[in-house]
Amino acid sequence: MITHDLFLPLPLPLLSVGTMLLLTAIAWRRSTTRSLTLALVTLVLSLGGIGYHVGTPHPEGLSLFVQDRWANYTALLILLSSLSILLMSWRDLEQDKTHPTDEYPLLLVLGTLGAISMVFSANYLPFFLGVEILALSLMGLVASRYSRLTEASEASMKYLILSGISSAILLFGIGLAYASTGSLLFSPPPSGNANAIPAIATIMILVGVFFKLSAVPFHMWLPDVMDGAPPPVAAFMAVVSKIAIFSSLVRYFGTGDTPGYLHGILSAVIILTILGGNFLALRQTNLIRLMACSSIAHVGYLLIAFFSPGQLRSEAITLYLAAYAASTLGIFAIICAFALTENSLPNTITDWRGLFYTRPFLATTLSLMILSLAGIPPGIGFFAKFEVAATGVERQQTLLLAALVIGSIIGLYYYLSIVRVLMGTQNTPSLQVKKSQSPELTTLIVVLTLIVVVGGIFPARMLPQVLPSPPLPQNELISIQEPMQPSL
Amino acid sequence: MNPLPALVLLPLLGGTVAWLADRSNTANQQPTRNISWRITLMVLTLETVLLLITTFRHHTLPGPWLDHFSIPWIPVMGIAFQLDMDGLSLSLLWLSLILSFPCVLLATRQITTDAGAFHFLFLATLTGIIGTFLATDLFLFFFLWELMLVPMFVLISAWGHEDRHRAAIRFFLFTQGSGLLMLLSILGLVITHYRETGLLTFNYFALANTPLSPFLSMLLMLGFFIAFAVKLPVVPVHVWLPAAHTQAPTAASVLLAGLMLKTGGYGMIRFNLMLFPEAAIRFAPVAMGLGIAGILYGAWLSCAQNDVKRLIAYSSISHMGFVLLGIFTGSNTGLQGAIIQMLAHGLSTGALFIIAGSIQDRLHTRDMAQIGGLWASLPRLSSAGLFFAVASLGMPGLGNFTGEFLVLLATWHVNSIVAALTATGLVLAAIYSLRMVNRIFMAPSRTSPSHAKDFSAGQMTILGALMILLVVLGVHPQPIMTLSMPSPLSAPPLSDGGGDTQ
Repeated sequence: MITHDLFLPLPLPLLSVGTMLLLTAIAWRRSTTRSLTLALVTLVLSLGGIGYHVGTPHPEGLSLFVQDRWANYTALLILLSSLSILLMSWRDLEQDKTHPTDEYPLLLVLGTLGAISMVFSANYLPFFLGVEILALSLMGLVASRYSRLTEASEASMKYLILSGISSAILLFGIGLAYASTGSLLFSPPPSGNANAIPAIATIMILVGVFFKLSAVPFHMWLPDVMDGAPPPVAAFMAVVSKIAIFSSLVRYFGTGDTPGYLHGILSAVIILTILGGNFLALRQTNLIRLMACSSIAHVGYLLIAFFSPGQLRSEAITLYLAAYAASTLGIFAIICAFALTENSLPNTITDWRGLFYTRPFLATTLSLMILSLAGIPPGIGFFAKFEVAATGVERQQTLLLAALVIGSIIGLYYYLSIVRVLMGTQNTPSLQVKKSQSPELTTLIVVLTLIVVVGGIFPARMLPQVLPSPPLPQNELISIQEPMQPSL
Repeated sequence: MNPLPALVLLPLLGGTVAWLADRSNTANQQPTRNISWRITLMVLTLETVLLLITTFRHHTLPGPWLDHFSIPWIPVMGIAFQLDMDGLSLSLLWLSLILSFPCVLLATRQITTDAGAFHFLFLATLTGIIGTFLATDLFLFFFLWELMLVPMFVLISAWGHEDRHRAAIRFFLFTQGSGLLMLLSILGLVITHYRETGLLTFNYFALANTPLSPFLSMLLMLGFFIAFAVKLPVVPVHVWLPAAHTQAPTAASVLLAGLMLKTGGYGMIRFNLMLFPEAAIRFAPVAMGLGIAGILYGAWLSCAQNDVKRLIAYSSISHMGFVLLGIFTGSNTGLQGAIIQMLAHGLSTGALFIIAGSIQDRLHTRDMAQIGGLWASLPRLSSAGLFFAVASLGMPGLGNFTGEFLVLLATWHVNSIVAALTATGLVLAAIYSLRMVNRIFMAPSRTSPSHAKDFSAGQMTILGALMILLVVLGVHPQPIMTLSMPSPLSAPPLSDGGGDTQ
């Protein structure tokens, strides 16, 4: 029975085998370089395995996993992001001779496995397992910053408790859904008129997801945890874990409209998330905390696209995820490029003053990334935000669009403040400037900058490749079946 | 070979080359500091040649549009890299180039820190402005509209004067924030068109035929109007302008006042009037009221300024009020007046900013209380200043007078009281202009600027060319009036309208 149903997208077994190998290798003899290399090889192999699978899918679609373009695309994004994060951490881990750091690559691969499992899951069980694997490995990763052990432990503890609560809510929702339908299929239980349990189940699952996505009002943990974690891990939380959970959210509700009883809740959460994230970011003086708050706001923008199912939705989501991932990873890579040791990490934004005069290349790339996040051409974020706005206009989400505009204007202010500090005159002692001796970081930054700029100028090159996954239903708006653009 | 895309992209490419050349130059520790400046000058010359070719080449297109270029850019979304040129675009392009030359020749040579980056940003802004005048794909228009803001922001906040950071941020927030409203309007229009016809396109000519309900067309027009009103600027949303113009380095002030404000006026003509003609007529009383408010308010505040650049900035608000008034009179006379006023204001105010910048370079102050009696020590600079100040107050025989007169004439036909009120603005203009001339050039000398160098003959030639153009606009405006009328939408350059986006 089990062997008959066995269907595994190839990245999953590859990542599992990689984890096992890493564990064995560490048990045999510790070596940071070898662990890092193993992790790198595992991630690259899994990247190659996207699109392939083991076994045959169940004829009625009852397998535990599903593999379609949406899953493949988000898995690609996740693996590429994990790869970038591994490269970001490489130098710091290698140079540190005093502490054994083998667990770091191990946990990174394990967390990626959790994220990938969420992306591919078509059943509550692998989804929940993925959520937990990701959360537990993140807890270890967050606490791995021994130079600021108290903050790191505090952050890790906070993450553990809140993640536990959200998992509990999620699990309760899953239980209720199972109770009402008797099926573990990963889709909202159909709600009848008399029975409120399916609706409650869906809402509880949604709340759990919002906790993980750090949507307002479930966002409080994110800035603290990201601030306490090492910068690459903060990037992992901001990018990999959010993409994974967002991908599951899209898969859960499918391609059609969300159930009617969710509309009010979703609108409220989206507006709160956009405004709350931006207002919080306005008050931050620490760059990583600011990135955390702005990532909350970006989740809000993404949710607009999620909540506006129409012809433009899939393109908007695909592009926005890529734009967000590339820009955020770029900013974190630059932050990492400056920290030669854990202690010299630039903490406050004013530490970056005058960077344009001391390190023009890094300052220019950092500004490009920030402008891309702010949605200003020529960054890829401009087109992404344009698409998101288009989905909102298509479904006439007036309130959400108003929130988008207000949020973007607030966002401009704090993003530009960073650029302004970078251009400030250098009369205060600023960041210690050393040539970073890490070719992998430089390469990473160059590649990400290229993605951001080229993707911004020629988004058409990116759109057809990653084209959406969930086939969109015939929209009621397109009543006239005119042939659309031939390439659509 | 169509020259339109080259016209748009050449400044950007040239700027990149200038930047790289400057960087490699400083790396070699060679003392030739002016390499980026030379490259910029070459780029502008090339651009002029291109524009000459564009102007005089044989136009094969039927109908009033002079030139057309289109290649698909993002076909999935129906977005094309589409440029079209009519007389209005052409005359504004000429204004852009004519103003860029004095900018580069007189103002940017003094930039010593990071000259390469400065020239790159200058040319990038120019690309945005030129592209805005040509783009007829709404997405491309918006892209370029936004693109010109970033380099300008950096120009102000890196090379500006004492309070530059706040001025730059305010400038950016206002222009970009209002731009988002325009984005929503564009999307609204595109999606309404998509629903009606099933064709997703951003083509200006295709979208012009979208049937809209009166309410929707008013809403969409307002989105466009607010974005353009911020750039123009119109009174309640003008607050970014005085600070930005005052704090910007001279070259950026000229770009801002001479060209960037014109993109607002251009947008109103091209998009508000042409895409939503009925809504524009209904909205006209409000717009004209705002125009008068701008004329009087700008002139009144201008009278109270001590800072030269700030005075000129407020006078710009006043002059742009005439443009707004002219555009919304609903008559051809008013429209022609507004266009002539835009061209003349670009020339005269651009020159005034160059002169104010030169004064600041020489005396290190912009406070009129500390400048005085320059006529004795700097006769050439002072006479040029007098000429452009007089032009700006609307002296008959110069371009500004033609524009203001035509606008007044058109306004008189609509409402005589409004015209009378508007004329008060002219009186105030005389007061602030003459006050400025009096205090800077005529009053007893307060400092001893004897060591300051006057304009050289070469510099005077450049300013002289601007003077001649103003005189031509003043005494013989007819050819330019005929040329610069926007082409009607009823004759799109290609018969298949939106179909050419594929």
